[in-house]
Amino acid sequence: MISRRALELATAVLTGGFGVAVVVQSLDNGIGWSSAGVDSGTFPFLTGIIIVVGSLYNLVRGMLPVATLAHVPIAITPIELRRIAGLFVPAAIFVAAIPLAGMYVASALYVFAVLAIPRHQSVPRALAMAAATALALYVVFERMFQVSLPHGALAAAFGY
Amino acid sequence: MDNLGELLHGFTIAVTLPHLALMVVGVLLGILVGVLPGLGAPNGVSLLLPLTFGMQPVSAIILLSCMYWGALFGGSVTSILFNIPGEPSSVATTFDGYPMARDGRPTTALATAFGSAAFGALVGVILITFLASWVAQVALAFGPAEYFAVYFLAFASFVGMGGGAPIKTVVALAIGFAIAAIGIDTVSGSVRLTMGVDELVKGVNFVVAVMGLFGIGELLVAVEEEFHARAVSSKIDWREVFRAVGRLPRHSIALLRSAAIGCWMGITPGGPTAASFMSYGIARRFSRRGRYFGTGEVEGIISPETADHAAGTSALLPMLSLGIPGSATAAVMMGGLMIWGLNPGPMLFVDQKDFVWGLIASMYVGNIVAVALVLLTVPVFAALMRIPFVIIAPLIVIICVVGAYSVSNSYLDVVMMLGFGIVGYLFKKLFYPLAPLVLAIVIGDKAEDAFRQSMLMSRGSLGIFFANKLVTCLVVAGIALLLLPLVLQLAHLFRKPAPSTDETTTQATARQKVTI
Repeated sequence: MISRRALELATAVLTGGFGVAVVVQSLDNGIGWSSAGVDSGTFPFLTGIIIVVGSLYNLVRGMLPVATLAHVPIAITPIELRRIAGLFVPAAIFVAAIPLAGMYVASALYVFAVLAIPRHQSVPRALAMAAATALALYVVFERMFQVSLPHGALAAAFGY
Repeated sequence: MDNLGELLHGFTIAVTLPHLALMVVGVLLGILVGVLPGLGAPNGVSLLLPLTFGMQPVSAIILLSCMYWGALFGGSVTSILFNIPGEPSSVATTFDGYPMARDGRPTTALATAFGSAAFGALVGVILITFLASWVAQVALAFGPAEYFAVYFLAFASFVGMGGGAPIKTVVALAIGFAIAAIGIDTVSGSVRLTMGVDELVKGVNFVVAVMGLFGIGELLVAVEEEFHARAVSSKIDWREVFRAVGRLPRHSIALLRSAAIGCWMGITPGGPTAASFMSYGIARRFSRRGRYFGTGEVEGIISPETADHAAGTSALLPMLSLGIPGSATAAVMMGGLMIWGLNPGPMLFVDQKDFVWGLIASMYVGNIVAVALVLLTVPVFAALMRIPFVIIAPLIVIICVVGAYSVSNSYLDVVMMLGFGIVGYLFKKLFYPLAPLVLAIVIGDKAEDAFRQSMLMSRGSLGIFFANKLVTCLVVAGIALLLLPLVLQLAHLFRKPAPSTDETTTQATARQKVTI
């Protein structure tokens, strides 16, 4: 279970961290005024400062027990968290598998896994859908629009 | 009436067989992404974007804009029949549309929605026809300082009128600016903010961000609540369609008021979502039957729908004439314009007459095509909603992954897209608005260039932003909008807190939920 407050804090820390990174990086480019006009780091530096200050405000707002936060103490229930993970974790594995297996094989495996493993569909139907997905991708991208999707290291090893 | 002559010329471009076919394809794809939860107009349009690179700009923009109209209509279909808004901007349509459909009048609800939506769109297009070239002419005289002032006004109006928490809007905007700055600086040529990743030199493409923020982010929000599509009958009774449309003129005040609200919110970048909520709220306050709102009132459907479409259409006005998109989807289209080699802004009306007037003419025709197609295909798309979400979700993930990859054939983009997905989910969950973020990514570079050029002209003095009447007005209006939330809060503190009814709080949270 994740409380609204924890989520607010995590997001504020995330945005604030990004802001700090932007500030630090833009210092390398130089800030302020030089012979060539406004230095290239100035604008990012200012946005970075705004992000940091805004995030600090949101952080404090998130910590205080304000009325608006009071009616939603719980942001994500355990069931919801499981559903989100059920969608996101396979998707992340799918993306991680692309360099090795290639887009077609990875997407077919992905469709098969999310449909057959939690038993949403029978194995033959899941297989059929997986094959149809890969085939549709191939026809639309490689054939119709001439966009080459990654074939993966495995396919390269076999000489494709 | 110079404009009418140009418009007629535009019709000769828009009404050709290939372009009509593109309109049909665009509208159908648009309805599809509008109906499917987790796919919306912004990422639908950005998915299609890489496929338009080989096309003529006119054909490409007709395809993309028709997809936008289709998505606006498709979102209303699911709102009314399933009580599931397919688009954030059609949430307000569920308040009265679904009760009416549930009471056995789905055709009336749909026809009323489409009729008033078409009216809203028509008002928006007429406004563009007569105002856009005039605005562009004024804008031709703009220097960098004026441009920066207009950008500033656009961003300030998100903070002042967007409806989200002001500081969260500011943070979202600033993050967008920072992301826009990643890569090679257009003025000095130096590399910025790559965080040590060499591949980031090419910058972060806005399509990748939209795919993650709107696609994956929305999918994660949608999967959280397991919804069941319990549809009311989706049969269309054609005689009732004409009767419902025939009854619309009786509500002409509501229609005109909502269209005006929509146009205003579309031109000043408040966006369709804010427009539909504002229009619904105002209609409830002023309608004689305001007490019955929420139980299937006709005006409760007319108001959000008219404003939604008027805002969606008129969002293209500032995009065409100033180069400032009025909504997230318009921002994506503007990114497309730049990719096709066009420079959005007043020069379009001088250099690219065929493009501009072809697009405007296609907006008239495209909306007619959209109304006809959406009525014809309601049963088909309603059937689509019965496909279980567990099957649709992985397909949408694959579409987003392939879409992000095909932007520039880069695996890093796919990984970033997933990252943006998490950010999109967190932001949606905590009511950070997403539209300003996307807008800032698309036009952040231009705003920065305008700022630096004006600084060069004035040798570093901020006085250039108060040098003449026009630019002073723009800057002052922007500052006023920035301070508006603060003033309202102070006023609220000094007044006694009014007792709020349950109804208004539920509506307020519903509104908060969809601020993008």
